[in-house]
Amino acid sequence: MFFHIVLERNMQLHPRHFGRNLRENLVSKLMKDVEGTCSGRHGFVVAITGIENVGKGLIRDGTGFVTFPVKYQCVVFRPFKGEILEAAVTMVNKMGFFAEAGPVQIFVSNHLIPDDMEFQSGDMPNYTTSDGSVKIQKDSEVRLKIIGTRVDATEIFCIGTIKDDFLGVINDPTTA
Amino acid sequence: MSIEPFNRLVKLAARAFYDDVTTKGDNQPKTGRGDNRGIAVVVLDALTRRQWVREEDLAKELKLHSKQLRRILRLFEEEKLVTRDHRRETAKGAKIYSAAVAATADTQMGGKEGEEKIKLHTHSYCCLDYAQIYDVVRYRMHRMKKKIKDELEDKNTVQEYVCPGCGKRYNALDALRLVSLEDEYFHCERCNGELVAESDKLAAQDVGDGDDNARRRRREKLKDMLQKMEVQLKPLMEQLNRVKDMPIPEFGSLQAWEARASAAGRAVNGDSGSNDPSKNSQGYGGTPMPFLGETKVEVAFSGLDGKEDVKSESASTSLKVLPPWMIKQGMNLTKEQRGEVKQESKPDGSSAQPEFSDDKKSTVENDDKKKIQDEYLKAYYAALYKKQQELEEAAKKQQELSDIPLATGLSDSSNRQVGMKAKRDDNEGEDDIDWEEAPAAGNTTESYKVNDLNVEAEESGDDEDDVDWEEG
Repeated sequence: MFFHIVLERNMQLHPRHFGRNLRENLVSKLMKDVEGTCSGRHGFVVAITGIENVGKGLIRDGTGFVTFPVKYQCVVFRPFKGEILEAAVTMVNKMGFFAEAGPVQIFVSNHLIPDDMEFQSGDMPNYTTSDGSVKIQKDSEVRLKIIGTRVDATEIFCIGTIKDDFLGVINDPTTA
Repeated sequence: MSIEPFNRLVKLAARAFYDDVTTKGDNQPKTGRGDNRGIAVVVLDALTRRQWVREEDLAKELKLHSKQLRRILRLFEEEKLVTRDHRRETAKGAKIYSAAVAATADTQMGGKEGEEKIKLHTHSYCCLDYAQIYDVVRYRMHRMKKKIKDELEDKNTVQEYVCPGCGKRYNALDALRLVSLEDEYFHCERCNGELVAESDKLAAQDVGDGDDNARRRRREKLKDMLQKMEVQLKPLMEQLNRVKDMPIPEFGSLQAWEARASAAGRAVNGDSGSNDPSKNSQGYGGTPMPFLGETKVEVAFSGLDGKEDVKSESASTSLKVLPPWMIKQGMNLTKEQRGEVKQESKPDGSSAQPEFSDDKKSTVENDDKKKIQDEYLKAYYAALYKKQQELEEAAKKQQELSDIPLATGLSDSSNRQVGMKAKRDDNEGEDDIDWEEAPAAGNTTESYKVNDLNVEAEESGDDEDDVDWEEG
């Protein structure tokens, strides 16, 4: 699920950036530092949408670096248990398949794949129904439900299922 | 717009889900005498025969202690099967209710006069909420099925993996770390052995054998349970499907019902005298008079009761019991009426029979012509034949017929026993109580195979025929 929230961060700025463009430099450094990171609490920071305010800078003794407390608005993405996501399959093996929904990695184990889908090994490992009408392989797009999440301080990993109504392949790369 | 399919639904649900409900706490030992399981079924059955009913009255009629009844009703309220209404009222307020009851001719009349007290009392009323019952039962079935199915299919469970070499356990959340580049299996972090999924029984035999067996047994048990459930709840499911598209009977709130029922009663019976003063002086249910135009509609609404009203009216004009053949010939027969007629002879055939023959004799004597007699016989046989056909059809087509004899026929019989005026035909007096409890209790023992009720109905039909033949 996506959220638009306000976060705060202390930015250290090198003295060479001081000048007319101090603010621009500060923001671009913030974006470089923050976007794409993951915190267990808020999830993945997708994008910074604006700066709320920049506090008073504090000059560090000895180094000359200045610390600015910056409040910024950003879009974060955090997966939840029970959430339905659309994901692209990245790897298929005998134990199940891995998929990515943006920055989130999801594993679907083979017992959470419908019973009528069988694993086919070979050059392009895939899961196929007995009549061959549905095929899950690398780059397939699937809709899945998250049934478990592991949230570390800097990492989020999910396991999902496609063994439920309206879940499964939504776009087959071979036919597209 | 029949209420009967819904009543059947309630009865089935009662037997399915509330069969072993007891009002006692679990810690008390169940002695033979104190065991009141099945009482909930009795109460629900009784409620299907009523609309709004005062809880005291219901308790009296069921010969239950009012506290006991209230406990059961509270359970049903929590289960959203009944709606209840509490209000403080004087004896006059109670009269409004009595008037409404009299109008629907549904529950008891007698014994109200003795309750003239000036003090305010809190009275509780209860009524089945059919719309909600339908939803609740459906939801309950859905939850039951879903729960078992989810467990059966291991849905929403995190797959576990075990290393057969060192016994280290992982679960699916570790998958990212375990995947190897060489082949398509997961590998143990410690010994690089190939991991096996734990539910893979044969492969994991050496590791978690006892655990696995337990799981397999559990699975079988679950499957068994699911199957059993589907078989046993099939009648209930069918009934749910049957009432799916039917208009749901709605009684409205207590006040609305009272106002409507008494107004309708007046319109039908044509006596505005007795109920009016109490009503107007109280000013409780709003202004009842302007409704007179609409009340015709409401008669149809109250289904079973309305029809009985029509009948009671016609009975009251002649002031004697209508012989069954007359009803058959003249009227557009409904199932309810037929059920009534059918049952008349059954519970007390001895008392009913002489009456019939008396009637007939008098007609024969008065006319004293063979022609008329012949005509009568012809018509009678024609009606009888027609009725038999209808009966067969009805029995084939719908099982709901079975419910009616329980509800209406009994009250009829009680009338004659008591020897009151024949027009109050649905007066569920004290005499009923034994009857009320008996069939319900009988049914509870055989779980929810309510099909058996049907057999009863057919029997009763035969009985009636026998009696008629004797006369003819």
